[in-house]
Amino acid sequence: MTAQTETRTRPVKVIAIVCNWCSYAGADGAGTARLKQPYNFRVLRVPCTGRIDPLLALKAFQKGADGVLISGCHPGDCHYSEGNYYARRKFELLDRMLPHLGVESQRFKYTWVSASEAARWQSVITEFVGHVQELGPREGRAL
Amino acid sequence: MSSTQDAIREAAKNALASGRVDYFIGWTQGHTPSEAIPAFIRRPEEVDRLIWSPLCHHNLVTFLKRKMPDPPESRIGVCVKGCDSRTLVALLQEGLVDRERLYVVGIPCAGVIDKRLVDALFTDEVTEIDFEGDLVTARTRMGESKEFALADVLLDQCGGCYSPNPRYADELVGDTLPESQGKPQFPGLEEFEALDSAAKDALLAEAFSTCIRCFACINVCPVCYCWDQCVNRSRRPALVGQKVDTKENTLFQMVHMFHVAGRCPSCGACDRACPVQIPLYLLHRKMNKELYEMLGFMAGMDVDEKPVFQTFRIDDVLGE
Repeated sequence: MTAQTETRTRPVKVIAIVCNWCSYAGADGAGTARLKQPYNFRVLRVPCTGRIDPLLALKAFQKGADGVLISGCHPGDCHYSEGNYYARRKFELLDRMLPHLGVESQRFKYTWVSASEAARWQSVITEFVGHVQELGPREGRAL
Repeated sequence: MSSTQDAIREAAKNALASGRVDYFIGWTQGHTPSEAIPAFIRRPEEVDRLIWSPLCHHNLVTFLKRKMPDPPESRIGVCVKGCDSRTLVALLQEGLVDRERLYVVGIPCAGVIDKRLVDALFTDEVTEIDFEGDLVTARTRMGESKEFALADVLLDQCGGCYSPNPRYADELVGDTLPESQGKPQFPGLEEFEALDSAAKDALLAEAFSTCIRCFACINVCPVCYCWDQCVNRSRRPALVGQKVDTKENTLFQMVHMFHVAGRCPSCGACDRACPVQIPLYLLHRKMNKELYEMLGFMAGMDVDEKPVFQTFRIDDVLGE
């Protein structure tokens, strides 16, 4: 196999930035319950989605991530009452801007998964990684 | 135009003579009559240096950025156009400048010229630009002279300006212009928006590959104020690399764009300051367009409004 076809077909790398109080516990629950999940995502745990600077997602893309998933508590259920309401506005802007920055819109997603939604986590991450895998690895991009 | 200029001088003179301000920031003639530069006026007898013309494109609010006033306790007079006033309002909204120490002279502005468009009409250096009504006369060093309509050399955002009148001022000089009706315009984006993802990426890669990381866009930006705490300058943690290459430059510009979201009214100061002519307006204007479509938000319109990312509505309708 040549180096070129290898990069085109290699498994994608996905970064999941998740809230400690909800989605991390949800993902943990999915693992404990032995729910089948893709193996090619890395989890980055943060105290609250409100803490996530869009820079983290941009930096991940710049450093070679093929997709970035951000997940936190459902609106209304934030551990710190309102962090995810602020986050929602930021990620919506990021989501709208990324297609214009050379990142296809399917490579970025923000969503809400609670601590008890292990099954939802499984479907969210499976679907997201699937979409990113369809697009394939990012190559030769400005960002 | 000249009456506005007289009114600015008068306002500056009164403010300085009465001790209302320690110094007054306006525009004065640059090295040649073809350019205006910012001027710091400290004595009432100096006010005749102040000028007002469509050459006065500088956003003087940038001198008020947090921690910038020098000395720190000084009281400052400043001239603002419509778009400048929106950056000032954005700073006021966040409490980053002290309203009590400011004396703001607002100038309704019918548009400022894009010097690059004028320069493009000549092969020689333009040294003189005169304005007579809607007619502009430009002369070069070698004596070549051309006349053209003012509207043809205005900055592209001036055409459909949504806020020609200052949104905040202690004193208004000149005649108020008719307020814009209908939706704000975001000109010059159609071509960019129509490109596919790969073409956009190629365009950005080409533009940002020439960035020399001089920080002019950030330093000139009136609403980008973190100074030593700027994540772009930080070595530890090294979030944005200091290496000058396409990838790092792109991230550098993304950071600037996202960090001024909610304060940036697309005044275009960054675009004009760029020594390598990166089309920075594309990104900032696009971002503002998205913000408008997302939440109906426009930066710096009302002093009592909260900045868009420092507040939220529980019923924000945003798709996942």
